[in-house]
Amino acid sequence: MAASGSGGNRADNGYGSQQPRRRKGPGALATAYLVIYNVVMTAGWLVIAVGLVRAYLAKGIVPSSVVLTAFQVMSRVFLTWAVTHSVKEVQTEDSVLLFVMAWTITEIIRYSFYTFSLLNHLPYLIKWARYTLFIVLYPMGVSGELLTIYAALPFVRQSGLYSISLPNKYNFSFDYYTFLILVMISYIPIFPQLYFHMLHQRRKVLSHTEEHKKSE
Amino acid sequence: VEPNATIREIRLMFHKLYPRWYPARQSIKLDPKGKSLRDEEILQHLPVGTTATLYFKDLGPQIGWTTVFLIEYTGPLFIYFLFYFRMPFVYGLDERFTSSPHPVVNLACICHSFHYIKRLIETVFVHRFSHGTMPLRNIVKNCFYYWGFAAWLAYYINHPLYTPPSYGKKQINFAVIMFLLCEAGNFSIHVALSDLRRNGSKIRKIPYPTKNPFTWLFFFVSCPNYTYEVGTWISFTIMTQCVPVGLFTLLCFIQMTIWAKDKHCTYLREFKDYPSLRMPIIPFLL
Repeated sequence: MAASGSGGNRADNGYGSQQPRRRKGPGALATAYLVIYNVVMTAGWLVIAVGLVRAYLAKGIVPSSVVLTAFQVMSRVFLTWAVTHSVKEVQTEDSVLLFVMAWTITEIIRYSFYTFSLLNHLPYLIKWARYTLFIVLYPMGVSGELLTIYAALPFVRQSGLYSISLPNKYNFSFDYYTFLILVMISYIPIFPQLYFHMLHQRRKVLSHTEEHKKSE
Repeated sequence: VEPNATIREIRLMFHKLYPRWYPARQSIKLDPKGKSLRDEEILQHLPVGTTATLYFKDLGPQIGWTTVFLIEYTGPLFIYFLFYFRMPFVYGLDERFTSSPHPVVNLACICHSFHYIKRLIETVFVHRFSHGTMPLRNIVKNCFYYWGFAAWLAYYINHPLYTPPSYGKKQINFAVIMFLLCEAGNFSIHVALSDLRRNGSKIRKIPYPTKNPFTWLFFFVSCPNYTYEVGTWISFTIMTQCVPVGLFTLLCFIQMTIWAKDKHCTYLREFKDYPSLRMPIIPFLL
């Protein structure tokens, strides 16, 4: 879900919007490539998700925390659709590039990790990469996300995007601007938890491998 | 320790040695990963040899269920009033202490208050709890949830810009009747369940329909009290035509379905002759 989101991101605005109508040929080709990439990623993600559940149940090495993972997935989808896609003015910001890059690298490593795990042939390098590169990629991604939301704020205020005010027959009101600010604030408690969770997993997984090697 | 000692006596002895851990806080098990033993269990009836090894786990600070419910239900009752009477800090100084021109707003206040007063009365006089206590930290979480939602929905219902229901009097009258029927039903079920444990026993028994027509829902459902509760909130949603109320109703429904399914499974496990027609919360469906 996250990858198809970021893949779709790129198709919509990553490079296409930075080079508007210069060349039509490569544009169509790039789009076709990205569409195929998207479809493959989506299908692959589904297969991998099912396999992942089975693999984790069998191995029991890394008990993934459902709540924290759910937060991560939610934030990805939110950033992609509710912010970057919805507020067009934000799509050319550098911050978008920042988090898209961070996510892309993370996801490529993660998919290779899952694929190799399923094939029961996991090169140590991939495992190491997955549990080490996040130390840089994670803050990079979070900074990109926060900067993007911050950049979107004035446009949301101006256009009243996704907001509804009283009176109305459903007796409901929602201010997207305030909601975005609350989301930004929520990063303060959530990010350290996720980060330390990953650090903890890193210690567990990489030391487990050491023991394996020693016993061989 | 005597072989015919009950777990309750063991808990009391343990408490004397370690005053910090009062009996309600102790979880005593035969196996570290097993279930906690009940107070009534007798040592010699358990699968142990001449010496028994018991495992202790600290459940954390506990609070009595009655206290929990009293706190959880009094909050929404008074919070709603803050909005109904339009305290100055809620809608601004211009609207302070004004009242709404819509009769449905007054009706909603009466219904909401009635609901929580009824719950408080039931907590004190009707309910019989199987567990004495719950962990203390749950109450903070629960209060946030109940009190927060009460504030959120009270805000919109009592707002100066509140819009009454689209179908007017017809909609409101229908909702009131449904509300009263569901509250009566809910109360009947609570009384019926409490009658199953008349002499303070903690044994679980299958509830059956009585002469009271509201209890006939027991033919179809294991937890009709939850069914009626959902009905109450649906009627309140119709009465106020307010999205936050609808959302609260949805969350209540989800939570109660989970509880009902749990209860239903427990009944099925404990009683071989449990009526097969019964579903957990919605007749024939869920």
